[in-house]
Amino acid sequence: MGAAAVVAEAVRVAGLEKSYRGRPAVRGIDLSVHEGEIYGLIGPDGAGKSTLLKAIAGVLRFDAGEIDVLGTRIDSDRAAERIKPRIGFLPQGLGLSLYPELSIEENIDFFARLRLVGKPELAERKERLLAMTRLAAFRDRPMKHLSGGMKQKLGLICTLIHEPELVILDEPTTGVDPVSRRDFWAILSRLLRERHATAIVSTAYMDEASRFHRLSLVYDGKEVAAGDPERIREKRPGSLVVIDTARQADAVARLRPRFAQVDPQGATVRLFAEGLLPAEAGAAVAAALEGLPATVADAGEADLEDVFVSLLREGAPAPPAAPAPPHTPPARETRFAIEAIDLTRDFGGFRAVDHVSFSVPPGEIFGLLGANGAGKTTVIKMLTGILPPTGGRGQVAGHDMRHAAGAIKRRIGYVSQAFSLYQDLSVVENLRLFAAIYGLSRAEASDREAWALDLGGLRGHERDLAGSLPMGLRQRLALGCALVHAPEVLFLDEPTSGVDPIGRRRFWELLFRLSREDRVAILVTTHYMSEAEQCDRLALLFAGRLVADATPKALKREVAETEGLPVEMHVDRPLDALEALAARGFPEAALFGPHVRVLSKDPDGDMERLPRLLAEAGVTVHLAERRSLSMEDVFVHRVRALEETGGGRGEGA
Amino acid sequence: MNARRVIAVAWKEAREIWRDRLYFGLAFALPVILMIVYCYGLVQDVENAPFAILDHDRSTLSRDYARRFLESRYFDFKGYAADGREAERLLVDARVRMVLVVPPGFERDLREGRPVAVQTIFDGTNTTPIRTLRGYVESIHRALGAELRADRLARTRGLAPERAEVLLQPLRVETRYLYNREVRALWAIAPSMIMFILMMTSPLLTALSIVREKETGAIYNIYSATITRAEYLLGKLLPNSVVSFLNILVLFVLATQWFGAPFEGSFRLFAIASLGFVLCTGCLGLLVSLLAKSQQAALMISVICGVVVALNFSGMTTPPQAMPPSLHATAQLFPAMAFRNVVLGTFLKGLDARLLWKDVAYFLLYAALAFALCATLFRKRTKA
Repeated sequence: MGAAAVVAEAVRVAGLEKSYRGRPAVRGIDLSVHEGEIYGLIGPDGAGKSTLLKAIAGVLRFDAGEIDVLGTRIDSDRAAERIKPRIGFLPQGLGLSLYPELSIEENIDFFARLRLVGKPELAERKERLLAMTRLAAFRDRPMKHLSGGMKQKLGLICTLIHEPELVILDEPTTGVDPVSRRDFWAILSRLLRERHATAIVSTAYMDEASRFHRLSLVYDGKEVAAGDPERIREKRPGSLVVIDTARQADAVARLRPRFAQVDPQGATVRLFAEGLLPAEAGAAVAAALEGLPATVADAGEADLEDVFVSLLREGAPAPPAAPAPPHTPPARETRFAIEAIDLTRDFGGFRAVDHVSFSVPPGEIFGLLGANGAGKTTVIKMLTGILPPTGGRGQVAGHDMRHAAGAIKRRIGYVSQAFSLYQDLSVVENLRLFAAIYGLSRAEASDREAWALDLGGLRGHERDLAGSLPMGLRQRLALGCALVHAPEVLFLDEPTSGVDPIGRRRFWELLFRLSREDRVAILVTTHYMSEAEQCDRLALLFAGRLVADATPKALKREVAETEGLPVEMHVDRPLDALEALAARGFPEAALFGPHVRVLSKDPDGDMERLPRLLAEAGVTVHLAERRSLSMEDVFVHRVRALEETGGGRGEGA
Repeated sequence: MNARRVIAVAWKEAREIWRDRLYFGLAFALPVILMIVYCYGLVQDVENAPFAILDHDRSTLSRDYARRFLESRYFDFKGYAADGREAERLLVDARVRMVLVVPPGFERDLREGRPVAVQTIFDGTNTTPIRTLRGYVESIHRALGAELRADRLARTRGLAPERAEVLLQPLRVETRYLYNREVRALWAIAPSMIMFILMMTSPLLTALSIVREKETGAIYNIYSATITRAEYLLGKLLPNSVVSFLNILVLFVLATQWFGAPFEGSFRLFAIASLGFVLCTGCLGLLVSLLAKSQQAALMISVICGVVVALNFSGMTTPPQAMPPSLHATAQLFPAMAFRNVVLGTFLKGLDARLLWKDVAYFLLYAALAFALCATLFRKRTKA
């Protein structure tokens, strides 16, 4: 190895191409990962992330291009075997690559034996890793009984037990709650530094971009942008503007011709003003809204997702807003479209949902947030009458869910996680089938069918098979099928999982219109924290309990008042900075790639004070800047507060 | 070949089999259930067939005629029917499968040498046992007819009854059934079933244990590790072969104790051959796992191929000696025929190692070749 000053390449990919049965998955990707960094691959499902990672890990053959891993050209099965002692690969799927019947310790032991790790080394590493991940107390628990966060950490231990030089992690954070995710990044950073190892990590969450030193945005098998997050932002400079207004529809109509990305969001409108600094953007928006009762609430740095969407659209005009379908806003007489009171559900000795109460009035988008296994789907199943509750009661569309499941089912629409469409039927056949299932007359059915085709932008695809549609269209067809009988209440269970950002935004706009124009009450679950802000009101579910229920704005305001606002510092030695901050009264300091972030009640003061404080610990701060609070900050704060008061069951329960 | 890695995989596999209740049930309950279902289902021996007699004659000879059926283990006498209507009702209700109608004047006509027809009414809904039953009825009639003829000859010519019998039937068939003295089908079927069931379940278990890892993605732990292909496959093959071997032992006990099949040969020889056989079927499972991407596909391929091979290439339906050369050659590609040979040889014929060593050697050679083929075809770097 040469001198440390030279940046050595751990992985180099050039012109990689791979097709599955003629269907291209990766279409010419270049990549360069430096030694010692955490490199990110960000993109929606089907972008080609897994294909790329498997090819690098030497477990997938490819059609064209070159891959060098740790100085070895992967051009044959034999060459691939040569790098395997030095790499660790964690395949996609939370806990799927582990062995459910084996305990934590047996899983670790198996991976160690597979890698011929000696007994004394194994004992030492196992203790250290178990202690660091706080799994030591659960070492005898079978893997199948672990929470999502614990499975994720165990997967990491098993991948690292032979101390590889290169770690390849495929979507390790998907479906894991934000607290566990923060933990995960801290542990990964620490382990990598100890061994001076390199990591390539893929994720579908755009908001994790800041966790990486450098990253590639991939879409449809191609790289959209690469570099460090700042560099990528510079490709599409611009500002994020948030507008408070009671007349959202008018505001959107005025702003759409001037700005590419304008999205109604909860009680606000959010837009990305490309090429403008925050102050300029605020002024431009205010000018455009002249005469409307609207105020610019915030103008600041854009999210990476805005940049990504802008890069994806690259010249192509924003898709036209769907024409307003003909409709008669029905009168909604009930006060609450959905009401849950102390809903509880036990599975054997396990309490999946624990005294959950909330209510949703007509015309509101209500978001239920939580990790996999937090109880979101169970709540929906109880409210839709599919699953009887162990305790508590609820009403949906004016009917008691315990006695009137049949009446409820006629008045609700439900889109499940897997979009329950018939893949071998065409778009129109699917719509007709659902109309027939709900017993619509022929005239009603053809009316609603036309309505759903307009709503989903499905014209031109009427004869296509549902299975052949791209993800975004399929999802809108599922929505159309769920709405064919004009329900008052709509349940959506993770409807946007794996859909690309443009498709997600289009989908959310449909939801917004349904709620505002047709006064449909919408209950939607998601594990994308960034989507949470699109809801009128939010409930956070953690281990079966509701830990918050308020508007996104109120939730953020509460954190800002009690904990302060985030301050991010660019430092030379992030891990030392983290320890120094923890020792000086910032226990919640978090690592974001090469940066550290703390919540500060006096941001201006701390931006001066903290660099001095860190200098004492030998850490140099290059830059300190303010950030805005994210929903993830809110979630982490809420869960930690719950754990401190002893009300949380935590992972050990 | 690194033994530590093979043991690591095998040990993990063994624990999973032991702890996964569904898999454990599949591995151990399924063969037993199949054995019981098939042995009772396939046996075509008819014993204790319920029947009734409608006796219009009510004579000494008609009662003697009935006695011959009463004493047979093939028939179970349910009583005399009072009239034709009752006889019909017994058949309709399926309380009897056969009714014998003895005509009036049965005794008189027979004594006077006139032919008599006994009407035999069968429940024809189930054809196979009917043919068997008809055979039994006819042989009882034949015996009675011969006796009556000999009796008349003795009386008219004044001969001794034995002499009269010889005169009437100068050529007689003297039958002895080797290996299965009582010609009980169950004795032959139960041991064959061990082969039949293992041809299905053993490849299935091995294939599922690999394909399951393909489905979840856990196989990538193997692909991305330094373990070699042969080490991984051996680690999978060994524990699953042990499970299959235990299955053979359980089925052996079932065949001998429950179904009463005799075991004449050397148990040690049977056990060694069985071990060889399960290695072969395990390798077939490895081959299936190379083809199948989902557990459903693995299940379909294993069971269908297993049944086809066990029925057509084992000698169960066509005896090996009667197979056309092409079929006989194809049958060599599967271990079914050799194992049926071993099973029948040890159970019924009591053959020893001198006559069966070829089969044992065949198993070992077969397993080695099949394993080498799998290890060559298995890819740690896949195409899709």
